[in-house]
Parts: sequence; C-alpha cells; structure tokens
Amino acid sequence: MRQLHPEPAGDTLLEARNLSFSYSRPVVQEFSLGLPPGKVTGLIGPNGSGKTTVLRLLDGILRPTGGDVLLHGSVPLARLSRKEIARRIAMVPQNGGSYYYQSVFEFTMQGRSPHLSLLGFESERDIDIVRDTLEMTCLSALSHARVSEISGGERQRLLLARALAQQAEILLLDELTANLDINYQVELMRLVRRITRERKLASLVVSHEINLLASFCDWIVLMAEGKIFRQGPVAEAVTEESLRGIFGLDFFVRRSATGPLEILPVLEP
Amino acid sequence: MNRLSDRKIVGKTLWLLAAWLLAALVSLNIGSVSISASEMLRIFENHGETQLAAILFSVRLPRVLMGSLVGAALASAGAAFQSLLRNPLADPYVLGVSTGASLGTILYSIFVTTSRAPDSGGSFLYGRPLAAFLGAACTIAAVYVIGGNPRAGETSQRLLLAGIVFASFLSSINVFLLTSTNQADLRGIFYWLIGDLSRPVDASIYVVAVAVFAGFALLYACSHGLNLIATGEEDALILGVSVPRVKAGVYAVASLVTGAVVSVSGPVAYIGLICPHIARMMFGSDNRILFPTVFVFGAIFTLLADTLARTVLSPVELPVGVITALCGAPLFIYLLHRRRSGA
Repeated sequence: MRQLHPEPAGDTLLEARNLSFSYSRPVVQEFSLGLPPGKVTGLIGPNGSGKTTVLRLLDGILRPTGGDVLLHGSVPLARLSRKEIARRIAMVPQNGGSYYYQSVFEFTMQGRSPHLSLLGFESERDIDIVRDTLEMTCLSALSHARVSEISGGERQRLLLARALAQQAEILLLDELTANLDINYQVELMRLVRRITRERKLASLVVSHEINLLASFCDWIVLMAEGKIFRQGPVAEAVTEESLRGIFGLDFFVRRSATGPLEILPVLEP
Repeated sequence: MNRLSDRKIVGKTLWLLAAWLLAALVSLNIGSVSISASEMLRIFENHGETQLAAILFSVRLPRVLMGSLVGAALASAGAAFQSLLRNPLADPYVLGVSTGASLGTILYSIFVTTSRAPDSGGSFLYGRPLAAFLGAACTIAAVYVIGGNPRAGETSQRLLLAGIVFASFLSSINVFLLTSTNQADLRGIFYWLIGDLSRPVDASIYVVAVAVFAGFALLYACSHGLNLIATGEEDALILGVSVPRVKAGVYAVASLVTGAVVSVSGPVAYIGLICPHIARMMFGSDNRILFPTVFVFGAIFTLLADTLARTVLSPVELPVGVITALCGAPLFIYLLHRRRSGA
C-alpha cells in the first residue's frame, strides 16, 4: 500500500502519531496525521471506518490504546486538562447541542466556557467575540431566536459559530454539512476555508461528500477499516484506484476545466 | 438582552434572604405561647432569664435555624440531582438517598445503644451525620448500579425507577429494624421517619451547618459545568468540562448535604422536588442563579411548612413531612402529567 507522508512534524499544530484504539475489536490502527496551520484537511471513508473515533481521539475525549496525540509537535494531549484542551481544540460533534430553550446568542456563548472563570460569568470581551462570530456566520439577525426555532442549515452554522467562539487554533468538524442542501454545504465549506486561511487554523473536516472535500480541502486522508489507505494533496490522493480501494466501487475521476476534480461513482444496477 | 450577571444573582438572593428573615420572625412569634415583636426585642436587649426567653432561645430559635438548614440542603440537593439527571422529577427523596441516609442514622443509633460506648455524647455529633452520609452515598451508588445501563449509559427514567423501588425497600428495612430493637420512643421515631423537626436541637446543628454550607459552596462551583452538561455530556467535554469529575463530585456532595440534614430531621419528602421548580419558574433555569436562590427558598419553604405543622392542630404537632408531602405529591403528579403531554 503506497502512502504519501504529511508535511514535516515541526509545522503541525496537532499531530497523531501511530494512534490505535480498540473496544473489543480494533477501531483505529496505526493512524498518523499532521494538521498544519492555514490548511483544511479532509477525512473520508465508508461508514464504520473509524472517522468519528479519530476525531474523538484527536480531541482527547477518548484515550488512545496506543500512540500519542501531540500539540505543536511536542506537548502530549493526555497531559492537559479538559479546559486547557478546549482552549486549543474546538470540535463540532455529529449530533451536537440540544439545548432548545437557549437563544442563539446564549448557545454561542457556551463556546466561551473554557476561557471563563470558575462561575462562568462572561466579560464585555466575551460578548464582543460572540457578536463577531455571529456576524461571521451570518446569524446576527437570529441572535435572540430560540435554538428550537431555527432551520437545519442555520443550526449547523450555529454549531460552527459555537466552535469558532472558542477561538481555538484547531478545528475538528464531524459531518458539519450532513443533511444540508448542496447550496448550504458549499456556503459552509467556503466559510470554513476562509476562516482557516484568515486565522491560520488547522482544520480537519469529516464528510461523506467526496466532491465537496475534493473542492475545498488542501489535503485528503482516505480511511478504511480503521487504517489510513492513502493521504496526500487532493489530486494525488483522490484517484479512481484509491476510491475503489476504500469503497469497493468504480469511479470516474477527472479534472474539470476550472480546476477542481469531478468525481462520479459508476452506478450499475 | 436579559443576561445573567453577578449583580442580578446577589440582588435576587438578598431579596429572598429578607423574605427568610420575615418568615423566621413570624415563626418565632407563633406557637403555643405567642411572643410579640416588642417582647422579642426586649428579650434580645436584656438577655433576660425569663420563661419567654427560654422558649425563644432554646426551643424556637434552634428549630427555626434547623428547619432552614434542612430546607436549604434538601432543595439544593434536589436542584443538583435534577440538573445532573436532566429530569425534573429527580430529588433526594425520589432517588432513595434520603431513605438511605435514615437507614444509616438508624444503624448508627442501634450501634451506639448496643455498644454503650462511653464517649457516645461527643462522637454522636459527628457520627450520626457521617453514618447518614454513608447511607446516602451507598444508596446513590446502588441506585446507579441497578438503574444505570453500562451499554446505553444511565437513563434518568431508569435511575428514578430504581430509586423509588430502592427507597420502599430501605424504608421497610428501617421499620423492621426499629420495631425489632424495641425502641422506647416509637411515636417519636415514626414521626422522624416521616420527617420531623420537633426533637430538641442539640449541638450537632453545628456539624450539620458546616456540611450544608460547604456542600452548597461546592455545588455552586459546579453550576456552570452543570449548565453545559445539560446541553449534552459530549458537548460539555468538548467545551472543557471534566464531566466524570463534575458528575461524581455532585453526586457525592448532594448525598453529603442530604445525609447531614436527614440525620436530624428524617427524610422530609418533596422539598427537593418543589423548591427547585418554583425557583426555576421565578428566576430561570441557569444553575448560577438557581443554586443560591433555591438554597434560600428551600429554607423559607421548610420554615413555613414547619410553622404550619406545629400550629395547625395545636397543641398537637404534625411532622413537617406531612405538610411537605401534602403540597409535594400533587405537584409531582402535575409535573408527570405535563411531561407526558409533551409540554
């Protein structure tokens, strides 16, 4: 199995080194990945390939049974408290946030939690940060709306807003664009890429949308059965052969006139 | 935007403290002998050794303070359990914690009477609340083991059911133990099992007070973490809360304050259920304002319930638990009904 190696470790904000995790059977094996600043990395693979487990390992919610997660190439994540981790890593979980009574503003303010004092009273600065974040995610007009009243697309933007309010340098997004219409998917990914570039974040995006990831990511990781099948720049990693390798289906992959890849599964009934 | 600030919290709490003071004065005034405000003032000024002064200082004032402590502790524990389990029907009584604490107290009393320990007077002050705490802590652990499902994680419905079943089991053990050991004061003991404040207050009130105030401080320190846990445990972890540590801590502290007061008052029902609901309706469900307000509100509620209990059939006194259950059971049914109808 050919494997392209990520950029040198010194450059990465978050790094997985030979991560393994198992319940009764191995879920993730020998997973190594570096997330450099200013770049969007995409993680793709069939259901049950261990993508969500990788994200939870990278955020320290799960403890790896082998290997390490390192911040800035040297600080082991396991040595930090939850609060210290939350100041550095923001994550949007797959089914996150169900506190319907809160307003959009209050929900976003939760993202400031790791920066607040013990009792959690917010300062003017926290309020400003939340306002800016709502502005950036186009939610300012809904600031007073209840979380239960907003649409699915707005809800996903809200989850992103809460993660951005954490002002962490690392952003982990699990199926942020799931269940959204294509226009909302594109809008969200544009936003993620813009913020990643502007703030020099290291972003990792898990999604089922191959075309979306191929268009917006700088680096792609293909995963199957808990292992990295291939990783590299989009054009090198996403090939007919590698997609067949992880999904067991034939694909057409061609470069469009404007640049991005066009990927089509061959659907023979 | 109506945001929560520390000033708002202090303001509301001070208002409630003023209301508590008023309730305390009313309670000091009412009884088999009525002591008017002017008489009270005179007694406070002169520290006279009159009969009225004796009633005021050695009977009514300790009872007012103890009633307030009991209410504050049970209401805070109820608010903590409701927040932790994300279920409005949780409280120390429903979860069996109160009954477990009374079993601890009874076992300790039997141990002291049978062993005839020479220094039982001194160790009694700490031993009884400690035994009650152990009973409470063992009960919540047992309820967790019975009601929790290691695969699906604990669901609050299962925990509550386990608590209710466990409470009735423990309370029959309590009655069995008390009957079989030939206790002299059966009437007093059965009053205590319903929740009663009529026994003379001894020096253990200091131990109880320290436990209740320390417990409250610890719960308050967890209030923001509990707010986030209400959003979901995974979300709370992501947002920087050490969820396992907060959960274990809140379970332990809520059991501690429950045990401390139950060792004196017995398992007074429904205070931990009613008071958090009323406080939430008045001040909102953010734990940062809920915990201090429910602490004082529980004190007021219990003080008034106890005043009713000792005056409504005067000269006969009712156990305070009868009054709180008369108010609490209908509210429990109302909440259950509202929950089922999906509101």
